[in-house]
Amino acid sequence: MTSIPPFGGFGLGLRKTHYADFLESHVEVDFVEVISENYMIDGGKALRVLEDVRARHPVIIHGVSMSIGSAQGLDADYLDRLKQLEHRIDPLWVSDHLCWTRTSAHNSHDLLPLPLSHEALDVVCDNIDRAQSHLGRPMLFENPSSYVTFPEDELTEWAFLSEMTRRTGCYLLLDVNNIYVSAQNHGFSADDYLTGLPLDRVRQIHLAGHTPRGERGDFIIDTHDRAVCDDVWDLYGQARAMIAQPVATMIERDDKIPPLPELLAELDQARSLASSAMAGLSA
Amino acid sequence: MTSSQTLLHAQQAFMAQVLDDDQPVPDNWSERQAAGMDVYRQNYRSAVIDAVTSTYEQTRQWVGEDRFQRAAIHHVIAHPPSGWTIDDAGAGFAETCQQLFADDPAVAELAWLEWAMLGASRAAEATPLSMEDFGQATAQFGDEDWASMTIEFLPGVAARPLQYDLHAMWQALGTGLQQRPETTLQETRGCIVWREVERPTFMMVDADMVLALQSALAAMPYGEICLQLAGDNPDEQTLHDAAMRAGAMLGQWLQESLIVSLKV
Repeated sequence: MTSIPPFGGFGLGLRKTHYADFLESHVEVDFVEVISENYMIDGGKALRVLEDVRARHPVIIHGVSMSIGSAQGLDADYLDRLKQLEHRIDPLWVSDHLCWTRTSAHNSHDLLPLPLSHEALDVVCDNIDRAQSHLGRPMLFENPSSYVTFPEDELTEWAFLSEMTRRTGCYLLLDVNNIYVSAQNHGFSADDYLTGLPLDRVRQIHLAGHTPRGERGDFIIDTHDRAVCDDVWDLYGQARAMIAQPVATMIERDDKIPPLPELLAELDQARSLASSAMAGLSA
Repeated sequence: MTSSQTLLHAQQAFMAQVLDDDQPVPDNWSERQAAGMDVYRQNYRSAVIDAVTSTYEQTRQWVGEDRFQRAAIHHVIAHPPSGWTIDDAGAGFAETCQQLFADDPAVAELAWLEWAMLGASRAAEATPLSMEDFGQATAQFGDEDWASMTIEFLPGVAARPLQYDLHAMWQALGTGLQQRPETTLQETRGCIVWREVERPTFMMVDADMVLALQSALAAMPYGEICLQLAGDNPDEQTLHDAAMRAGAMLGQWLQESLIVSLKV
């Protein structure tokens, strides 16, 4: 399996609301990320737009439905479709989430949590081996946000991710907001999380907003519907200072999507924080 | 039981709890874990209902927000999605509308139209046959070639008979339903949906054309389509008229750039 060289830069998720911005002007981003499933189609406008954007920017394809934690294994049709998209777009890399979404009968279309057990680790590693072998390239997997822990848990999430990368050769997409959300929801230390990860395997960082505790019960919810909060910016700065290699950082917004300049301003904040953190690293 | 089977059963149980609020969580779960399950239930429900809503924007406008929401909730409970694309959450919604809006059967036809337009919007690219291409392809055709010819249409082309005036409904919806049009057609007609470059579109046609197109889409040879148009026990004049009618239809399909190739 080949390796994924580090790529440093700042990007945004490509959403339909901003198609015209990306097609009609030069947007100051180093890459864009798209949701794979939106483009795993046979033809039509969405694919044409993606190809046009690809001609201007490097593209990352980021999935939500691979269901890498499914005990029943992966969906062959899904893998074929993803490979077709990968051939068409030639992305920087292909990523998905450490989660599961489907059984043989149903699909939740939500990122469901895995028990952090050795049994689940075996399933995940087998599935990652199959996916990477099918695609012929290593993938990135994102740490999830979660609202449930299981009595069966045997590992911390960071130990699970570490062992997963060691056994499969996959890389990490570090979602800093997800670390914050899960740490708050389950009472673990974000510092321990970052310290426990193999940070040399991180190739990308996600930043996003969340719904604070109290708006939807006693949980922080990973909604991607508002700006990144100060605590998550702080955690980003901390994470960035701990990662020696270049990484691709992006802002995710999936609901209540603002005009593009607002997201670009957030991206400037990420640039500034990363620059300070990197200065600290080299000092 | 092997370890992955244990996880398999746990995931089947978890999925059942996500899909059905009445499914109890495991006995050994705390109150906080049960509250966490509620977050997944809400996330699931809102994601699939949002997907149904986004596919059926015109249907939603036609029936109104409250009635649409009730129908969408009913649909996702009765037909939880199984495919990897969330767009498929809207599959079969026209049939759900047929049951739920029995007082306004036009709703089911409108929902069918929106589903067909979604299919056309993401269908594969293909180059339509021009009149000139058609002329060249058929220049050497003998009677047997015409009779056995099958027609390949643009991917995503769909057709069905109509009892309601979708064209009038669509136009009224485009103006925010300032005035509700008369929807009932005097006689059965038909609807053809396809993608014109990047934009899904539709047209209303006579009932015999939609029947012929459905047959052609199912790879019925052109000769049999002519016989189908002629009806039972046709005399020579009726056969001649049917062939003329089939030729006119073929011309219209070519004109609308619906045909990709001919096979003999």
